[in-house]
Amino acid sequence: MVPTLDGFAFWLRATPISEAIRVLPWLWPLGEILHFVGLCLLVGVVGFFDLRLLGLFRQVPISAAWSLVPWGKAGFGLAALTGVTFFVGAPDQYVNNVAFYFKVVFLIIAGANAVFFEWAYAAKVTRNDIATVAPRTLKTIAVVSIVSWFFVIYWGRMLPFVGNAF
Amino acid sequence: MMEVLAALEGSGFGTWLRESGSIWAYPAVLTLHTMGMGVLVGASAVIDLRLIGFAPQIPLAPLGRLFPIMWTGFWVNAITGVALFVADATTKGTTTVFMAKLAIIVVAVIVLFDIKRRVYGANATAVVTPGARALAAASLALWFLAIATGRYMAYV
Repeated sequence: MVPTLDGFAFWLRATPISEAIRVLPWLWPLGEILHFVGLCLLVGVVGFFDLRLLGLFRQVPISAAWSLVPWGKAGFGLAALTGVTFFVGAPDQYVNNVAFYFKVVFLIIAGANAVFFEWAYAAKVTRNDIATVAPRTLKTIAVVSIVSWFFVIYWGRMLPFVGNAF
Repeated sequence: MMEVLAALEGSGFGTWLRESGSIWAYPAVLTLHTMGMGVLVGASAVIDLRLIGFAPQIPLAPLGRLFPIMWTGFWVNAITGVALFVADATTKGTTTVFMAKLAIIVVAVIVLFDIKRRVYGANATAVVTPGARALAAASLALWFLAIATGRYMAYV
């Protein structure tokens, strides 16, 4: 017997906030639009910074590329906020959806990778002192970022097809 | 017109994409369409934000190399978009919101070309002109509308 989150989903779905999310007819489409806007900002800005770490756009100082990253974080925030809204509104379509768990796994990898970079290298990056860091480390972080965000999008897109979410 | 749309939708390819249930059919094409969007709109947003005045430390010249990346995203989405249209031609070909989405993308791509001409063309200046700045803001607004109409198509 595999433990499931059915009980939690049942409880969450019955809360007034969950009901409110389902009742407002414009909220879900608006949330989807903002979820995709956030996705674009994240892919564009963080992808650009990753490519810089990989050695492209060398004429752009690394600190300059980094100064755009708050926009990528804002995009992530927008996608996370709307994503949580979807989950609270219809938890039952996620808790038994294998695509959802894959998406969460890749979100954790992407998030841990980003937090590690921030913790270990953000100060060096702002000082343009990154030349002291082994290029292989930076390239590994960039590749992990690109690959894990790719799979976050892939499994997000698979939610309605592998599982049953809309 | 309706016969053409029905023929497209009923074609072998349209039927396979829509009904085969294969993960390589509709899901894969839709995923590529999402990735293409992220690359095209995301790369465009980087240039737009810079032109509007954010991250002024980023030199403009090297950002010109984002254009081939954007065209890649554009062509991925043009091809996957045609495929997705064929699969649901009678619905998509008759809804206003789809026509609006197409029109918005046409204008967005024209704006993209104009930004390229003004900022990276032969007569380009090193400083960002108010015109280029306005185009960048228009570009962001148009991509937002393209996403909004595209997403909204799932609800009509």
